[in-house]
Amino acid sequence: MAINISTAISRETVSELLNENIVIQTNNLSLYYTPEKSALKNVNIQIPEKKVTAFIGPSGCGKSTLLRNFNRMNDLIPGIKIEGKILINGKNIYDPDVELEDLRKRVGMVFQKSNPFPMSIWENIAFGPKVNGLSNKKDIDEIVEESLRQADLWKEVKERLNESALDLSGGQQQRLCIARALANKPEIILMDEPASALDPISTGKIEETIDELRNNYTIVIVTHNMQQAARISDYTAFMMVGELVEFNDTNTLFTHPDKKLTEEYITGRFG
Amino acid sequence: MNQASKKFFKKGDPYVLLTSLGLLISLGMVLWLLAIVLVKGLGIFWPRELVQINSKDENVYLGELWNSGKEISENEFEQIVEEEKTQLKIGNRDLYGYDFIWISDKEIKTMTKPQNAAVFERSEYGNLYGFILQVNLNNEIVTDSSELFNEAEKGISLAHELKIKLDEIEEEYNTLLTPLNKIQREISLLKVNSDFLTDEEAKRLNLLKEEENKLTESINQPRIVLEEKISTLKERLNSFTVNVITANGDETLMQLKNVVRLYQPNEMGIFGKSIHYVQNLWEFLSGEPRESNTEGGVFPAIFGTVMMVILMSILVVPFGVLAAVYLNEYAKQGALTRIIRLSVNNLAGVPSIVFGIFGLGFFIYIVGGSIDQFFFSDKLPAPTFGTGGILWASLTLALLTLPVVVVATEEGILAVPKANKDGALALGATKWQMIKKVVLPNAMPGILTGLILAISRGAGEVAPLMITGVVKLAPDMPLDFNFPFFHLDRKFMHLGFHIYDVGFQSPNVEAAIPMVYSTALLLIAIVVFLNLLAIYLRNRLRKKYKSSSF
Repeated sequence: MAINISTAISRETVSELLNENIVIQTNNLSLYYTPEKSALKNVNIQIPEKKVTAFIGPSGCGKSTLLRNFNRMNDLIPGIKIEGKILINGKNIYDPDVELEDLRKRVGMVFQKSNPFPMSIWENIAFGPKVNGLSNKKDIDEIVEESLRQADLWKEVKERLNESALDLSGGQQQRLCIARALANKPEIILMDEPASALDPISTGKIEETIDELRNNYTIVIVTHNMQQAARISDYTAFMMVGELVEFNDTNTLFTHPDKKLTEEYITGRFG
Repeated sequence: MNQASKKFFKKGDPYVLLTSLGLLISLGMVLWLLAIVLVKGLGIFWPRELVQINSKDENVYLGELWNSGKEISENEFEQIVEEEKTQLKIGNRDLYGYDFIWISDKEIKTMTKPQNAAVFERSEYGNLYGFILQVNLNNEIVTDSSELFNEAEKGISLAHELKIKLDEIEEEYNTLLTPLNKIQREISLLKVNSDFLTDEEAKRLNLLKEEENKLTESINQPRIVLEEKISTLKERLNSFTVNVITANGDETLMQLKNVVRLYQPNEMGIFGKSIHYVQNLWEFLSGEPRESNTEGGVFPAIFGTVMMVILMSILVVPFGVLAAVYLNEYAKQGALTRIIRLSVNNLAGVPSIVFGIFGLGFFIYIVGGSIDQFFFSDKLPAPTFGTGGILWASLTLALLTLPVVVVATEEGILAVPKANKDGALALGATKWQMIKKVVLPNAMPGILTGLILAISRGAGEVAPLMITGVVKLAPDMPLDFNFPFFHLDRKFMHLGFHIYDVGFQSPNVEAAIPMVYSTALLLIAIVVFLNLLAIYLRNRLRKKYKSSSF
């Protein structure tokens, strides 16, 4: 796949990326809430397969907005205008023949504040498979167990699958949401600040889970916490005011970043 | 204002007092109303004492102590004086023409409670008050005063048994004659045009006449047998009689088959009176009405009210919920949706009788008339659905309570957290799947609130019902054991209308007043029960959806 040479990506990274399989690519993506208010300006980014990519940047820079484009959740906002293309596995997701539900099955999402449904734990995980047509209880049971194991929650809840999901602690609820997204067997998982509402121990557990998932799923994570980005991601994108400033592999970005803005941000001079 | 009172106002205490006073007054009024209805409604089943009053002008009255009051008149000195007076229910309407009299207290010479004074509750003409002289059971005559009451009771139950048997045999007789009647009817229809019959019709007429003769012969034997049985039973039944003497000394012969209940209130202790109370209450709840709805039970009205409320709920909830879902989830929020919402809300302010007239014009005449044209044209001009019935009444009330359900459901839907809706969509659910699996279950408490409000409003409205299918006395119930079981075209009775009818349109207002209270109490009890049921369901659902703010 041809790599879009944009000024945000350094030469070394470009050569690295050429060895990777790119699953998500945006071409001149711009997004407007209203004709005067733009949230994303001409973003060109490549997300490599089965790696963890982190988006960092100050509040309001557009990282969540960019993330939510990948599973077209931004379509729900009335009056929104999107220019440019988003290619997932080579296909523009805004093509009219793309089935929305199928896209969202392949691209799962975990939200900032955990949002388990007020149903039993089993029903929560089974929700995805059920709406996508699966009805055999045994099949779903298997999926439930597998997803909970991958999210590192199985041992804690295997005795109480029929209890309400709302009875779980905050950290457990978030891991439940991860398991729920995994139940659809997606290729890509989008995580919008998944640990920002949690205490350090729960955060650690989430990071462990991400670590275990990285070999099988492409993960894109938005985070406020630079140390977290440094810990868990392979590639990092730094954004500001709706533009992609720098995209680099994590080590490089945090030790000798290309752009001055990036350096100022990570050393804490602003934002 | 001095310092202390300034502080008092600043702290806010007077507002606490003011608001609590408001609550107290509201609560007080409700409890007061309930207490009145409760006491007067439940109290009527307690058997009253039978008193004999000898007045100063040598009249004797025997009756139940009913009421007391004050009479205002001018005395010989042209002063306004208030005198006490007593109302007595003396019954015996077939003998004297009226059941109640008022006697001024000062006219009373003596008031006693004779021990063996008896009350006969009858199926016609109300109660009879008097003393039993003699009991005639078929061929036995009982005159021994100590046996009279027991024998009379025995006679009553025997008479009832006989009556049931007689009814059965009469039914058999009718079934036997039905085919013959049918043929005879057809013959008479053809005979009307006897000068202008076609060849075919003439042949048919001869055929029918032959059939008639054959049939008459074949059923002759069993017919005679049945007719004999009927006449013997009737004779026996009529031989159960009782000689009664009233307070004035008039003797009368009464047939026991017309007596519903017999009791001697002055002989009954607390236990006896309690049993009588329960019997009366049971008859009220499960019996059919008598005497122009002023006596007997209200069971058909209870049944009609409950069935109509259930039918109305089945009709209004799906429409209301679907309308609210569309307005909230699918429609583009703009000027049009605002106008629609406003119109739906304003429907709640339309007077209920206007709904009744709409129901009459649209449902009954147009829709019902069309249904009659297409499906029941052989019964025309007698309307089946083109006239009032339980279906149209329930539909009209469903329309009346629709805005309430829509508004409550909308509030329930709005209370569903957006995070849950987003979560469902992010998992690949279509919009309808999200609505069905996440929004509607979460909005259930709101929907049930709407249902509760709809039931409360619907069960109490009377005006639209009067136009769309409620009657004073319905010959059948809308649900029975004949196919197709649900007779949605039948007219029905309703508790609210019953109250109006009994209180304002009954020929015997004095006797009707207690019935008004007890029926009102019953209606309140039914609505409270239905509400409690829905509230219980709603609470259970609320516990499940802890995050819901409804």
